[in-house]
Amino acid sequence: MKLTVHLHTILQKETPEGLQNRIEVNIPAGSTLGDLLASLEISQHPDSILLAVNGRVADVSQILHPGDQVNLMPAISGG
Amino acid sequence: MEVWRINLQKQEFRKEPPREAWEHLGGRGLLARILLDEVDPSCEPLGHGNKLIFAPGLLVGHMLSSCDRISVGGKSPLTGGIKESNAGGRTGLHMTKLGIKALILEGKPEPESWWVLHLSTQGARFEPAGELVRKGVYESARLLLERYGDKVAIALIGPGGEMRLSSAGIQNLDKDRVPARINARGGMGAVMGSKGLKAIVIDDGGGEKPPIVNLPAFRAAQKEFNKALMEHPQTRIYADYGTAAMPRMSNGFGGLPTRNFSQGQFEEVEKISGEHMRQLLLNRGGESETTHACMAGCTIRCSNVFGGEDGKAIVSPLEYETIGLLGSNLGISSLDTIARMNWEINDLGLDTIEVGAALGVAAEAGWMDFGDGERAMELLQEIRRGSPLGRVLGNGAAITGRVFGVERVPVVKGQAMSAYEPRAIKGTGVTYATSPQGADHTAGLTIRAKIDHLDPKGQVALSRSVQINIAGYDTLGACIFAGFGFAASPLTIRDLLNARYDWNVGNDILQALGRETIELEREFNRRAGFTSTHDRLPEYMRREMLPPHNAVFDVPDEELDGIFDW
Repeated sequence: MKLTVHLHTILQKETPEGLQNRIEVNIPAGSTLGDLLASLEISQHPDSILLAVNGRVADVSQILHPGDQVNLMPAISGG
Repeated sequence: MEVWRINLQKQEFRKEPPREAWEHLGGRGLLARILLDEVDPSCEPLGHGNKLIFAPGLLVGHMLSSCDRISVGGKSPLTGGIKESNAGGRTGLHMTKLGIKALILEGKPEPESWWVLHLSTQGARFEPAGELVRKGVYESARLLLERYGDKVAIALIGPGGEMRLSSAGIQNLDKDRVPARINARGGMGAVMGSKGLKAIVIDDGGGEKPPIVNLPAFRAAQKEFNKALMEHPQTRIYADYGTAAMPRMSNGFGGLPTRNFSQGQFEEVEKISGEHMRQLLLNRGGESETTHACMAGCTIRCSNVFGGEDGKAIVSPLEYETIGLLGSNLGISSLDTIARMNWEINDLGLDTIEVGAALGVAAEAGWMDFGDGERAMELLQEIRRGSPLGRVLGNGAAITGRVFGVERVPVVKGQAMSAYEPRAIKGTGVTYATSPQGADHTAGLTIRAKIDHLDPKGQVALSRSVQINIAGYDTLGACIFAGFGFAASPLTIRDLLNARYDWNVGNDILQALGRETIELEREFNRRAGFTSTHDRLPEYMRREMLPPHNAVFDVPDEELDGIFDW
């Protein structure tokens, strides 16, 4: 199934086309958010990242669905 | 440490020991205690009875990372209630070196006249403000540094404070002598203006750091705190991106205020993102800096210098709340335009949050089109001219809404919300509603919590916990970002205070200080006439659905009313 992952701050990678802030991924049906993180080879511990699916905070056990919008946000707040 | 009391009407100065009930407090908590003890809550905020108080936090004076903040407070002309607004920069550090636990400014000169108050080891003296009157903050700061040398700290107001506009703040020099560390919220600059004070100059030459009773124990706790802070993953993110990392995060939750708080996502969010800004500044080089410290000794360095295409600094810093309120909230997606507006508002000596919210309301009333940065700049010039329209805008979002008959006004207790939409980030909505400070971005943000921000359940407990901690940090003089270090080494707060003051406080001292502070503030507001009906979000936010989640603010009133029943 296909879904969109929005990468924030230090999770964005530099590419010749500029910063990669969003990626489209194709993962097996029934995958969890934890499976997605593993497939993306993200080195940060999931506890240090705020995870959201379709605008709602989620945890690694959440099962994903086609078309989901996933945000991976190293947590930060303030202004 | 002593209380320095200054009467502006008689130009009298005296030092006195703090009252016993003031000894264990600093910063925000001390302001609340003094205001409750000395100021009639029914007083006119810009009149004779109000007092303007500066109080460094309990841990200020030792260059402990991120812990040298200055709290400024009084009765607010914006909210009509108690106000504390805190800032980084040099003011807190210099005051403690003169032995000042609190600076209490009372009375006002009659007839109106403008003064510079000079504080040093010799005491206080008054000098005519002269040529500084009506000058912008940046030019005033430059002239003051010429007059007094570049080793002093300065707290000053701009034309907005001189006009007693309710969105006026007090601006402090940062470690590089840029006057942009701002006690911005709640109109404390208007109170300073009402007292005829253009600037306070603090010369700490010959002063001494505050005493530490048990230096080895203090250093040990400091080392542990520093280590925890430096090892925390957040610290690196703040250094690289600053608070500007927030637009995409808030947008991801559907909580980025857009077009006068009518939408929770901005289609051009990438252009105002911290990630984009960092690349822009790295590419532009010159005076641009992606990381910068506002206080000497800060290891987080979350600030920045925003340079234009030519690499020359436009403004420093450019922060999230400003990007949100002047950017997405006005439909403006150019960081250069936002930065220029930020400089202009700083130079006027106003709060970018309040002015941004007022412009959003003005846009809804037809005074500008959303997205029209040029028109927004023209409206800022109206404020500089002191025209009737400018004065309406400079008095904030609530007044602007009232004058132009706009229903959708994002304020609580008369103060504008910051860049978190409370219908999508409901814990922060609870904070906006219930904080004695009004809708305030420093009173208790919740977006980092691992909670469904759209679900009303659990938000009151979350907000309560954060509000208590923040009130505690504000009493210590700690930046909220120091909280990462303290959260990872919580007993260091106890150890630092016990070593510094020879106290014997317990493990929960942060929360004890926080609860006491909030209780004092609520009592002041109660005496000023506030009731539970003031602890509510605007009606439209409880009724109108916010895209994209079609959320309303639905935390029950009875839960809001019980938030401080501890």
